[in-house]
Amino acid sequence: MVPHYIKVAPLALCIAASSVSAQETDAERIDKLEQRVNSLQQQATSSAADRVRLNGFFSTGYARADNDAGFADITEESEVADLSLMALQGTFSINDDTKAVMQLVSRGVQDWDTELEWAYLSHQLTNDLQIRAGKMRLPFFMYSDSLEVGYAQPWARPPQAVYGPVTVNNYVGADATYTYSLGGSAITTQLFSGFTDDPETTSGADVEFRNTVGLNAEWTDYVWKARAVVATAETNISAPGLGQLADGDRGNFYGLGFGYDDGTWQVISEITRIDVDGAFTDTDSAYLTVARRINSLTPYVSVGWIESKDDDERSGLRTALNTNRDEYSLGMRWDVLSGVAVKFDWTYVTGFENDPGGLNAAGIIGDDLDSTNVYTVKIDSAF
Amino acid sequence: MKSIYSVLVALLLLAPVAQAEVVIIGHTGGPDAISLDQVRNIYLNRSKEMPDGQRATPFELPEGNATRDAFHSAVTSRSNAQLKAFWSQQVFTGKGQPPQEVNDAAAMKASVSSTLGSVGYIDSTQVDDSVKVILKP
Repeated sequence: MVPHYIKVAPLALCIAASSVSAQETDAERIDKLEQRVNSLQQQATSSAADRVRLNGFFSTGYARADNDAGFADITEESEVADLSLMALQGTFSINDDTKAVMQLVSRGVQDWDTELEWAYLSHQLTNDLQIRAGKMRLPFFMYSDSLEVGYAQPWARPPQAVYGPVTVNNYVGADATYTYSLGGSAITTQLFSGFTDDPETTSGADVEFRNTVGLNAEWTDYVWKARAVVATAETNISAPGLGQLADGDRGNFYGLGFGYDDGTWQVISEITRIDVDGAFTDTDSAYLTVARRINSLTPYVSVGWIESKDDDERSGLRTALNTNRDEYSLGMRWDVLSGVAVKFDWTYVTGFENDPGGLNAAGIIGDDLDSTNVYTVKIDSAF
Repeated sequence: MKSIYSVLVALLLLAPVAQAEVVIIGHTGGPDAISLDQVRNIYLNRSKEMPDGQRATPFELPEGNATRDAFHSAVTSRSNAQLKAFWSQQVFTGKGQPPQEVNDAAAMKASVSSTLGSVGYIDSTQVDDSVKVILKP
């Protein structure tokens, strides 16, 4: 007699097999349902995420000089807080073409007081034309817009010969940007106008621009880049101990920029001229940076130069504004993680013995200094 | 004989994987084709327009995804670190936001199929009729 269980076995197998195939279709159905839930979830979150985007950047570091020449305000007594800053940027989409942008920055050097750095409304009139109004960055330099976003720059700090003399970064006004696309390249022109609303600068001087008008144009094929900028303003400048250096005087700014970035080699250069009627220093300056990416390391060398052109217009204490120096930097950016870069920099500055403008004149004259070494370690992050 | 047979089966199974390549996909109601330059321009914030004039909405796979690496080496020629630095500059100069990230190929297809003017990329083996292949770079 055939045992009962053997007769049942084929049936059991059958049931098992059919349940396997049922399980397979169940699994497929669950997969499909999961996909649908994912897509619905993504749609729900994306409509909220599309309307408000929050981004931030953070920097900290330590810099030290071997004397009190005061290059980039760094002396023998520098503190970690001097290089630290934290910023939060909110982009609020009002509709597809209109958005509001706000950027708050807290700097260690200002006791972490939070300042509203940007607050503007932008509107895309056509695919090529954008207009903005509000509080924005003065677009004098190639890196003006990302001046404080260390993560977006190759250096530990922007070359001071060019970026140092302009201590006012923001203005209140409006601009129009037209992008003319040429297929593999594009020309962007920007017309801007406005005034500065916060005359106090970190250097201690009061600087104010009124009736500012400027135009800049940039051509790029996404490897090469060339840029030109002209701007003019009624300028008020006063400095502690030196009095009124410009009083409604005409101030002009001229700049040329050049860039090359093929993914491995990066070359950046800017040449600027500042021309202010009155006692304030007229300067010519330039820098050239060459960097090379080697996986996560980007070593760079940079040379900079600045010279005042109107020394004969100043006498007495104001001769301390006369400016002349050469800067040589050797540094490296190390992309440790996605979104985090560590930078090392050694900068040697020389030639300022008789023309200490832009540096710590009291320290230079008092200690009879002609050069300084500045060492910097910095962490830059963006998120 | 048996071992040759199983080798052949293994080869047949592996073949699609070995031939796997990244393809650019779009919404089924969107344009039929797009050029490599147009895809590059959209993914590097140089253009916001699809070939048919629709506002382009690009989607991106997360860092560490092999298809993402294949896409960027074929289309933008940029490493993840370069992309991160590029987008941080775009974001903090108010010029734009990086493409929205989706978790995997399934989510990519779901997002592309539900967004007009969408553009995305997946492995060619993952293509189904919910999306349209508009470029094989």
